[in-house]
Amino acid sequence: MHEILLIAKREFLEQVRGKAFKVTTILIPVIFGAIIGISVFASKNSGQGKHIVIAANDAPLASRIREKLLADKDAHMSVDVLAPAAESDRQQLISKIDQKQLDGFLWLTTDANATNPNATFVGRSSGDFATESRLSDAVDHAIVQQRLSSHGIPTDDIDSLTKGVKIETEQVKNGKEVGSSTLGSFFAAYIMAFLLTFTVMMYGMNVGRSVIQEKTSRIFEVMLSTVKPTDMLAGKLIGIGAVGLSQLAIWAAAALLFSSTALAASLMSGGLKIQISAIEIILFAVYFLLGYALYSTLFAGLAATCESEQELQQYAPLAAVPVWLSFSMITFIVSNPNSFWSVAISLFPPCAPIAMFLRIASQFPPLWQIALSIVLLLLSVVVVVWFASRIYRIGILMYGKRATVPEMLRWLRYS
Amino acid sequence: MAAVVELDRISKSYEKKAAVRELSLRIEAGTMFGLLGPNGSGKTSSIRMMVGITMPDSGSVSLLGKPFARETLRQVGYLPEERGLYKKMKVMDQLVFMGELRGLDKATAGRRAHDWCERMQILEAADKKTEELSKGMQQKIQFISTLMHDPELIIMDEPFSGLDPVNAVLLQDTLIDLKNAGKAILFSTHRMDQVEKLCDAICLIHAGQAVLSGGMREVKSRYERDRVVMQFEGDNSFLQHPAIAEYKDYAGHVEIRLKPHADAQSLLREAMQKATIFKFELVEPSLEEIFIQTVGEKVDA
Repeated sequence: MHEILLIAKREFLEQVRGKAFKVTTILIPVIFGAIIGISVFASKNSGQGKHIVIAANDAPLASRIREKLLADKDAHMSVDVLAPAAESDRQQLISKIDQKQLDGFLWLTTDANATNPNATFVGRSSGDFATESRLSDAVDHAIVQQRLSSHGIPTDDIDSLTKGVKIETEQVKNGKEVGSSTLGSFFAAYIMAFLLTFTVMMYGMNVGRSVIQEKTSRIFEVMLSTVKPTDMLAGKLIGIGAVGLSQLAIWAAAALLFSSTALAASLMSGGLKIQISAIEIILFAVYFLLGYALYSTLFAGLAATCESEQELQQYAPLAAVPVWLSFSMITFIVSNPNSFWSVAISLFPPCAPIAMFLRIASQFPPLWQIALSIVLLLLSVVVVVWFASRIYRIGILMYGKRATVPEMLRWLRYS
Repeated sequence: MAAVVELDRISKSYEKKAAVRELSLRIEAGTMFGLLGPNGSGKTSSIRMMVGITMPDSGSVSLLGKPFARETLRQVGYLPEERGLYKKMKVMDQLVFMGELRGLDKATAGRRAHDWCERMQILEAADKKTEELSKGMQQKIQFISTLMHDPELIIMDEPFSGLDPVNAVLLQDTLIDLKNAGKAILFSTHRMDQVEKLCDAICLIHAGQAVLSGGMREVKSRYERDRVVMQFEGDNSFLQHPAIAEYKDYAGHVEIRLKPHADAQSLLREAMQKATIFKFELVEPSLEEIFIQTVGEKVDA
């Protein structure tokens, strides 16, 4: 035990003192912040500052649409009305779009009393969903108002009749309703799953790299004359795992500190509430440790059969397939957390840390499923450790050529 | 007294190739033992079994009078042929780590590391990272790390390779001091001159088998003194003496190989009658000659 701790301590200090640790500790939150910031900014500001023309044969309807569009403060649109519009105007508008004086125009024809409306939006870009949804919202709204007014309903009543409702989302937690923002919990899940994927892979790779460095520098031969290979591997896993936990702790502390600042308060006031509970943090740590144990031993075994860091890197993406598989399921899992496939993938050990965590973040799964996934994960860690430590023990003493699969099977029998 | 190392007919094969076959040897305390053999003869494989990196397929290893157990390794210092150190670690940290790993407490490890660095004249490098040092310096550090825990048995695989003459002598002297302090030292090499000078006992292995072993004097006494070096002036007709198998005459300096069991003294008597003898030396065979004679021409060392 003394030896394992010494090796763990050495590994921990070497990694923490290294440049990579400092760089990633600072850079990863910065990059994460930037990605989230950009995506929030982009979703708020898409379709912004557009210059469009509403061409209609019905002038009051057109101006109602214009009013509605201008009322959307986020859009910053400039809207002109061309009414009544003739077929020749259409050609002119098209040429204006061509000359980039306009972003698009809405061509609207109706019969009297706003019946049989026919609307076409002609725009420069085809995929501008934000503008399209704003327009369709505004046209619907304006036509309803127009129809109501044509039935002789007073303007004040029309406003109150057509006033929309904003949907508040709440979530049931422990039998109580709590205020929640779907966007907020989605972001929480997204960030934590991303962080989990990232740290598990990064530290798993670190273990692999550390093994291969010891192999290429031949240091292990001295080490093995003092300590058992399994102790050496265990020390390495504990040391590097501790580095990962420390890094996560630093980030958590920084996030806590940041959330108490005024800047965070102003960012959070925009309705984007990110909620992370204590149990989520504990489970995050548990899944990090188990996921890390699984992948790092896998990488350690892999590294022991390789000759150089480059060779190891060629095989690394293969070992990472389950992680990317669960990562690609994020949207599915977050929107269908209790479907068969979500449950299955969150119990499948290689995917469990990330998939289960996504489910926890969106809707707390039954406890037995969490317990089962942890047990399955533990079992697979034991199995992988058994295999990896045997391969490691013999692999690190082999140099000259890469081991073939039948050779590795023989190594398993040797020990 | 129990031997520090006792190998009893150990064998090891990798895949289909036998690396070591039925090797037995004994190393006593206070002796310097040379493990000789051409490249690929099984020296490193044998050593790895002594320090528990690999296990023999058959046969047994005893260390310090007890059957092999990992705990005993704390009293063994092993310097592998492939040198390895943690590149990013500072020299002092590295030495202390190695000492702690073998059961020293931190303070003792630090004190010993300091003393050894002083003795090996690398104290000024103690605060540097290993990767900043020269090969020779790194080798000295590794040498120290092998000895940090004051082991009873010191095993060094090719300790002199890559060292300049000054440092090689420093290492040699240190090993002799350790031997005089009662440690058992085993080193492998293919440099015969060093073995001849340093070792009390040897084992020559070839193709995984011991072909020659025993005390240095005893091994040598098994080989006849069949070479004569002479310096003389005058008639050289005594070179036709029946005891001589062959000779090389370099004008007044002859190197002679005698026939088996020939009488060198009668050759000397005849020579004295015919010429003036300045020197007549009956030379014992060098280890190198024994080595070549035993192993044959297959040596690529």
